[in-house]
Amino acid sequence: MATIGESSAQLALRDPDIRLMLRVRADEPGAFAELVEHYQERLIAVLHHLMGNADEAEDLAQEVFLRVYRARKRYRPRSKFSTWLFTIANNVALTALRNRNRALPLEVRDSGTLGVEPVKKLVADPDSGPSQRMQREELAQRVQKALETLNERQRMAVILNKFEDMNYAEIGEVMGLSVMAVKSLLSRARANLRAALQDYIEVESQAQDDGVVESEQP
Amino acid sequence: MSDPAPRDKDEHEDLVAYLDGELDEEAARAVEAKLSRDPRARAEAEALKLTWDLLDYLPRPEPSASFTHRTLERVAALRPTGPQPVRQATRRRWVRLAWVATWLLAAGIGFGAVAFWPASLWPVAPEDDIERLARDLRVIENVRLYQYADDIKFLRDLDHPDLFGDDLPGY
Repeated sequence: MATIGESSAQLALRDPDIRLMLRVRADEPGAFAELVEHYQERLIAVLHHLMGNADEAEDLAQEVFLRVYRARKRYRPRSKFSTWLFTIANNVALTALRNRNRALPLEVRDSGTLGVEPVKKLVADPDSGPSQRMQREELAQRVQKALETLNERQRMAVILNKFEDMNYAEIGEVMGLSVMAVKSLLSRARANLRAALQDYIEVESQAQDDGVVESEQP
Repeated sequence: MSDPAPRDKDEHEDLVAYLDGELDEEAARAVEAKLSRDPRARAEAEALKLTWDLLDYLPRPEPSASFTHRTLERVAALRPTGPQPVRQATRRRWVRLAWVATWLLAAGIGFGAVAFWPASLWPVAPEDDIERLARDLRVIENVRLYQYADDIKFLRDLDHPDLFGDDLPGY
């Protein structure tokens, strides 16, 4: 095994996933399977939210794992393992999104209306609509549509921040951006999301206020 | 509800960063002061929080049952097969040959040094060592016989002239 610098050794001590990846690098039997098992759910979730398609997310997740395997002998632990993994995922996903856009230049992507009426109805009058599960599914679709109104970089930053709990520095490392650039990117992304879900937010806010009023009544 | 986007871009960035816990203490205090005196800023912060919470409604997709298997199969296809064992065997044979050659070379150098090193260059033993060697020379020469003696007294007795005279001097 190649010599690892002091800081890398300290990182490896703190991050068990680095130790796992070092076992993969050493071609230890079963280590790569363990890595796939450990990360597949998180990786597929991020790629699914990013691409909006389950099959495509799995294909890309496979590509990410294959790249990890091919690069194993060159692996050096310079940051958290998940940061390295999601850097690869970011590159793979951005390439796929660009190819998708090139392949369908005339596609009219209907982001769907985020009209207030159906959502209002779901929240304000739950008895008149479909079951609660159906409501959740519909709401999930609306949120996914709102996410798709963001550009690729904004979407990636939001997903890493929200679902991978990455701070701005880690997002910057994954996406090759400064902390200030991430701050600006996430600010625009949150404003865009807020605008896309504006009507629902008003309803949600109103519903919460109503709940407070009701609970305050004697 | 207030306007969706505040006029001041920097303020909005700070507000979002504050909600994300990314501001240092001083900047966080400045945002908190603004929130305490500005109801529009409070409403904006609340709307941003609600928006963020809505993302929790997104489904958490599970990998398909065959994902791990399919991925490992593709990785297995990357592993070298076929002629690789032959190549490895050849490599091992070369490594063994290299070791043998190294040992032979080291032995040759050692032999050459002993055989051809000028006597004048051999390290000279200190004088005390030479004297001790001269004194013990006869013992060293006859050590094969001494091994039959049980103790030093027996040897001294052997050396007594009354027993053997001068026919075996030195014993």
